[in-house]
Amino acid sequence: MSLTVDHLSFSYGTRKILDDLSFEVAPGAFCALLGPNGSGKSTLVKAIAGVHRARSGRVAVEGRETAGMGRRELAKVVGYVPQAGDAPFDLSVREAVMLGRTPHFGLAPRAEDRARVEESIVRMGLEELAERSMSELSGGQAQRALIARALAQDTRVLLLDEPTSALDLRYQIETLQLVRQITREEGISALIAIHDLNHAARYCDQVIVLHDGRITADGAPAEALSAPVLRTVYEVDVEVAVGEEGVEVRPRVDAEGFTRTGSRLDELEADGTVRAGRIVGAGQTVHSGQTARSVRTEQPAATSTAAAR
Amino acid sequence: MTTTLQRRRAESAPAPAPVRRHELRTSIILVAGLVVSVLALLVSVTIGTAGVGLGDVVHSIRVSIIGGTISADFASSYAVITQLRLPRVLLAFAAGAALSVSGVLMQGLLRNPLVSPFTLGVSPAAAFGAALVITVAGTNQLPAWATIAGAMVMALAVSALVLGIATARRMAVATLLLLGIAMTQIFEALTSALQFTANENTLQAIIRWTFGSVNDAAWRDVLIVGIVTAVALPVTLWFSKDLNAIAFAGDDAARSFGVNVGPVRVGLIALSVALAAIVVSFCGIIGFVGLVGPHIARLAIGADHRHLLPFAALSGGLLLLVADAVGRTVIAPAVVPVGIVVAFIGGPVFIYLILTRRNTLK
Repeated sequence: MSLTVDHLSFSYGTRKILDDLSFEVAPGAFCALLGPNGSGKSTLVKAIAGVHRARSGRVAVEGRETAGMGRRELAKVVGYVPQAGDAPFDLSVREAVMLGRTPHFGLAPRAEDRARVEESIVRMGLEELAERSMSELSGGQAQRALIARALAQDTRVLLLDEPTSALDLRYQIETLQLVRQITREEGISALIAIHDLNHAARYCDQVIVLHDGRITADGAPAEALSAPVLRTVYEVDVEVAVGEEGVEVRPRVDAEGFTRTGSRLDELEADGTVRAGRIVGAGQTVHSGQTARSVRTEQPAATSTAAAR
Repeated sequence: MTTTLQRRRAESAPAPAPVRRHELRTSIILVAGLVVSVLALLVSVTIGTAGVGLGDVVHSIRVSIIGGTISADFASSYAVITQLRLPRVLLAFAAGAALSVSGVLMQGLLRNPLVSPFTLGVSPAAAFGAALVITVAGTNQLPAWATIAGAMVMALAVSALVLGIATARRMAVATLLLLGIAMTQIFEALTSALQFTANENTLQAIIRWTFGSVNDAAWRDVLIVGIVTAVALPVTLWFSKDLNAIAFAGDDAARSFGVNVGPVRVGLIALSVALAAIVVSFCGIIGFVGLVGPHIARLAIGADHRHLLPFAALSGGLLLLVADAVGRTVIAPAVVPVGIVVAFIGGPVFIYLILTRRNTLK
């Protein structure tokens, strides 16, 4: 196994962010990390990248535990692509990609470092832009430069923290295709934190769903992306269609927040049934499901099945 | 997989033309900067009321290094050159270089192009230290070392305090900047309080001290500032790779490149404020060099710290050298303190940079 995470836990102070996570990503596999905001996706990615040091549990890359490695050694096996952010100073694309070679050279880059940088630039289709400054690039181009930077780092594991969130549809697809292609060809393991369920289903081999710092589902897209799981995790009624083109997730909510069966979203139980709403005193809430939302209905709604497929 | 990798590597073995061009350009700019700096140092020695030619300067330097005899009518020129002019221009250059390098470090480490070596409150603290010594002594006839020591102790103490607090708060950039603002306010108020209670003599001495100048430069000052700068520069170059990662990629990505962000930041900021504290203690408050020097260097040679750090030393040194030369000539024989001149030159230059190079100062 290329990336193995075993009983990993992490907390900020007393607040537990990651709670006993265990999973594996095979060599050449592209794994999606899904989950609502605050579920711990970013923290998990950073814990594996060594940006945060985990409190307990172990992470291993090709059987070697990362805890025993120095920072620089770890940087040679695990690469990390953050969201495209603003740099305070301007740099050419080539110089930016060279940053990825930081763990590999001493004082100045050697010929091998330069060769690897050129290779990554070609790989990400940035030849025309290599002399341009990073600030002139569009969002999609800048994100590609960051991926090229991680490629130049020449690691066995590639971690991406929501690289597609700020991109338009075309660049989202392009980025995902590129990462998928790279993982296949280089035999590396890629883990991507991502919000778009359908993109995850289409481009990734494996899907891990995080909820409150725990793994709710882990498996091939068709297994992991089940309607009950997604309802629990996102608190939205969804429909999951498994067709020839793969898995497709559609929210079953109209613009007013009603599900197709006419009941309010808040009343949905995780299994797709609508629970009976009751009026309690103002500010008090009643809930029997896993959701912590208040019940806002005035009338006890008829229990109906919200058509779990 | 490995075979395709190796094949691709073999194909891209020679560095592409743009890379070689870029490297050549960088080397030329660095060498040119060095040559211009040496020439400017020599020429600026000739500037002043006592007429001294370039040949006299070169002759004096040769005599003082290799030895030799000087004729009786050259004796006074020799004294002016070796005892007044040379220490003066060398101190100006070394101080400018130190402040500029200090500014590069601060801007890179705090990822903010608008900070300077004085952002953490070093200069008001030094001014207070000097003012305190002057007030306690109650005279304006103090030996130079007393005010220098007072300024340096206070500046270094405040730097240590700011860094200590910031380290406890995990070196968050915003914490550092806000602490610097607080320290600046506190020490300006303290200095004002001293000025309010001072008598005429000490008040004059306090105010004079704050005008940064190289008027009373002695070889001792040149040696101390020069040696500290000469030692600090290679140290910063050693960390230039880490500095690049932190400045351009941010803390998280820099960590993922294997950089120990926390210790590197604390260590280099400590070096930066130490440089600034030493310059302020010897020369008084010379603003703008630490802010503008790095930006001029960035425009000329690019933002890569491997080249930026040495070139910023040259650009800052030159800036202060030129400012001092201007200060000595505009209302000659009177001398305008270099701190005032450099603000007059640096301010407009900075505004020009802001307006014309939005990308670089983004």
